[in-house]
Amino acid sequence: MAVDEGSWYGQDSGVSQVRGQLFEAICLLATSVGIVSVLILLLYVTLDAFEPLTADPGWHLVFLLTLVLPATLLAIYYYRSSDPAGEVAYVTTGLPIVGLLLSGGVLVVFAELLAIKEWFALALSLGAVGVVWYAHKRGRPSAVLERFGILILGTAVSVFGLPPTALARVAGLPKRIVSLRELVLELPYLPLSSLQVVATLTLPVAALAGLFVARRRASRRDGVVAAALIVTGALFGPVIDAVVGINGEVWVVLVTMTAVPVAVYIEGVVRRKEGVAGLAFPLVLVGGVAVGTVLVNALGFAGPDVWLDWSYLTSAPSTTPEEAGIYPALVGSVMLLLVIVAMTFPVGVGAAIYLEEYAPSNGLVGKFVTLIEINIANLAGVPSVVYGLLGLALFINFVHLPSGSVIVGGLTVGLLILPIIIISAQEALEAVPDSMRQASYGMGATRWQTTRNVVLPEALPGIMTGTILGLGRAIGETAPLLLVGIAASVGLAPAGFLDLTGAMPRQIFTWAFEPKPEFRYGVLAAGVVTLLAVLLVMNATAIVIRNKYQRE
Amino acid sequence: MTPDESTQSSASTGTQTTTTDGPLVDQQIDVDTNDARPSAETVIEARHIDVFYDDVQALDDVSIEIPEQQVTAMIGPSGCGKSTFLRSINRMNDLVDAARIEGELLFRGKNVYDEDVDPVALRRKIGMVFQHPNPFPKSIFDNVAYGLRVQDMDVDEEQVVEESLKKAALWDEVKDQLDSSALDLSGGQQQRLCIARAIAVDPEVILMDEPASALDPIATSKIEDLIDDLAEDYTVVIVTHNMQQAARISDKTAVFLTGGELVEFDDTEKIFENPEHQRVEDYITGKFG
Repeated sequence: MAVDEGSWYGQDSGVSQVRGQLFEAICLLATSVGIVSVLILLLYVTLDAFEPLTADPGWHLVFLLTLVLPATLLAIYYYRSSDPAGEVAYVTTGLPIVGLLLSGGVLVVFAELLAIKEWFALALSLGAVGVVWYAHKRGRPSAVLERFGILILGTAVSVFGLPPTALARVAGLPKRIVSLRELVLELPYLPLSSLQVVATLTLPVAALAGLFVARRRASRRDGVVAAALIVTGALFGPVIDAVVGINGEVWVVLVTMTAVPVAVYIEGVVRRKEGVAGLAFPLVLVGGVAVGTVLVNALGFAGPDVWLDWSYLTSAPSTTPEEAGIYPALVGSVMLLLVIVAMTFPVGVGAAIYLEEYAPSNGLVGKFVTLIEINIANLAGVPSVVYGLLGLALFINFVHLPSGSVIVGGLTVGLLILPIIIISAQEALEAVPDSMRQASYGMGATRWQTTRNVVLPEALPGIMTGTILGLGRAIGETAPLLLVGIAASVGLAPAGFLDLTGAMPRQIFTWAFEPKPEFRYGVLAAGVVTLLAVLLVMNATAIVIRNKYQRE
Repeated sequence: MTPDESTQSSASTGTQTTTTDGPLVDQQIDVDTNDARPSAETVIEARHIDVFYDDVQALDDVSIEIPEQQVTAMIGPSGCGKSTFLRSINRMNDLVDAARIEGELLFRGKNVYDEDVDPVALRRKIGMVFQHPNPFPKSIFDNVAYGLRVQDMDVDEEQVVEESLKKAALWDEVKDQLDSSALDLSGGQQQRLCIARAIAVDPEVILMDEPASALDPIATSKIEDLIDDLAEDYTVVIVTHNMQQAARISDKTAVFLTGGELVEFDDTEKIFENPEHQRVEDYITGKFG
C-alpha cells in the first residue's frame, strides 16, 4: 500500500467534519430560540414586577456584595468540588421554599375555608372511624366486606349524622342522630386552637417522621426522640399564643410542614457526611439578605419600588393600582387545586391501574380496551376551550351547579388534565418490570395483592411526578375558567366550595385589559411572577422526585 | 403414603463415567448415582398437553409423570417448550392472554385447570424460582416474609424467615443485615434469597426455570448443592440448558426437542448413557442444538 505524503490524522485526513458541525450548530440554534424567548419574557416580567431600576445604586451595590457575590462564589465552589454538595445545597434551599408554600396553603385553608375547630372536629370524627376500623381488622381480619361497609357507613355517620328515618323512630331513637363531628363542636370547652392543630396535624406528622428516622437509623429510640422533638417544637406555638397573643397556629403549621422535612433531610445529610458543605448555601443566602437589609437601612439607601410585595399578596384587587392585590384570586386558585387533586388523583390513577393491570389485551374486549386507550390519548390534545364548553354544558346547565363556583371550575379543569394524569400514571405502571409481578404471582398472591404490595409502591414516584406536572398545568389554565364563569375579579376570597371565586390566571387576564397602564405593566407582572413562582416550585419538585428515584 | 422400594439395577459407588462405548464418545458427562433416591408416587401428571400462543404451538402432546420428592430435570434446545410446560404446571400461563392449553394437568390427581381450582391456591402449593433473580425492592426480611403475609399465614415470621434462609444456605451471610435492601446482594445471593422466599411458604413442589443460568460457576455450584438438599423435603422440577448440571443433580430427566415435543423421559443415568431415541443421543452428544 502506497504511503500518503500527508499524515493519517489531522486536517487532511479525508474525513469531513464540517457537515456534522453545521448540523450541531443548527440544532443548538433551535434549542436557543425556545430558551431565549422564554428568558426574554421572564426578564421583561421580572423587571416590571420588581422595578429594580428605581432603587439607589448603593442598594444594588450592598446586596451585590453581601448576597450575590458570596452565593456565586459558593456555587462555583460546589461546581468544582466532586462531592454532592451542590445537590445538598439546592435541596436545602428548595425544601424550605416548598415547605413554606405548603404551610401557606394550609394556613390559607384555615383562614378562609375551614375554621380550625371545624377541622379539629372533622379530624376527631374521622379518627374515631379509623380506630373502629383498626380494631375490627385486628379482631376479625378476614371480614373484608364488613370492614369496607364500616368504613363507608362509619364515615358518613360520624361526619354527617343520620337523618330521621322511620326505622329510627320506631326504635325509639331521637329524631336525628347527631354526628360525632357536631358533638365535638358542641363541647363546652375546646382546647386552644393552636393545640388543636398540634393534636391533629403535628402528631401524625411527628409519628411518620419518627418512623422514617427510626428505620433510617435502625434504632427505635432515635425515632421516638425525633417525634418527641417535633411535638415539643410545635408546642411552642400555644405557648407563644398564651404569652404574647400572636397566632400560635402559624408557628405550629410552620414547624410541622416546613421545619420537619428540612430537619429530617439535614439529619440524613449530617449522618451520611456526604456533601455537608452544601448546608452552607441557604445560610449564606439568608445571612446575605439579613446583613444587606441591615446595611441598607443603616446607610439609608432606598430599595426598589416593587409591585410584588407582601401587601400585594395579601390584599384584594382594587381600582388603585398601588393597592391592588392578588389574595382572593390566590385563595381561589388554591381551592381549585384542592378540588382538582381530589378529583383527578383517585380517578386518574384508578383508571391507569385498571387499564394496565386488569384489562385484558386479547380478543374483543381487548380491542375495546385499546380503543379506549387511543381515545384517552386523543382527549389529552383537545383544546382547553372545548373543556370549558363541556363544563358549561354538563355542570352548569345539566347538573345546575352554581356558575363560577369553585367546584365547577375545579371539576372542569380536572377533566382537562385527567387524560394527562391517566397517561403518565399508565407509563409509570408500565415501567415496573414484569419480573416483579411474576415473582409476586409465583408466591400465590392475588392480582390485588400484587398491585398493592409490589407494583404501586414501585410506580408511585412516577405517578407523583406525572400528577404534579399535570397540576402545574392546571393551575395556569385560563380558557375553561372563562367559559364556566369564574369571576373576572373578586374582592373576597371564597368561603366555601359553592361560592363564586376568582383565580390567578383569570385575574391576570382581567388586569391585562384595564385602561390604566400601571395595571397592565406593574400589577399584571406581579401576578405573572407569583403564578410562575408557584409553577416553578411545583415543576422543580416533580423533577427532583423523578431524578432521585431514577437513579436508584 | 410410602414410596415404593425398588432396587436400583446398577448399585454403584461414586460416579460413573463412560469413555469409549455408547453415545458419549466425544464427551464425558459424569452421572452422579451416589444418592439415588427410591422411586416414588407421582405428584404431577400431564396427559396429552398442547399449549398454543395464539396460533403457534408451543407444546405438542406432552405426557409425563413427575415423581414426588425427587429432582426432575427438563433439558432441550432453546424454544422447545420447557419453560412453557413448567409455567403450565402452576398456571402462570394464565397471565399471558395469548396462551391456550388443551389436555389435562393433574396435581395430586386433580386437574389444575378445572373450573373450581383457584390458581392462587395452586401457587401456594407449587412455588417458582425464575431465571433472573427477582427480589422485591424491599428488605431481605420482607422479601422472605412476603409469601407469609400475602397468604395470611399464622406463623412466627421471624422463625420461619430464619429457617428458610438457613435452608437456602444464606442465613450466615445475611443474618446481620436482614433489614437492608435485597437489591444490595450479589446475583448468587439474590437467587438464593428467591429460593428462600419460595420455600418460606412451605410448598409441596418447587419449579425452577434455569435458576443458575445467570450466575457464575461458584454461585452455580452453591445452588446445585442447595437443590440436592431441597429434594429431601420438596419435589423439584428444574429446567436447564446445562446438560452437565442436569446429569449432576437430577434423578429423572425429560428431553424436549424442537416443536414442543417430549421425546424421552427416564432415569437420568439412562438418558445420558443409553438413550432410546437417536435424536436424544444426537442432542446430548452435541451433534445439533
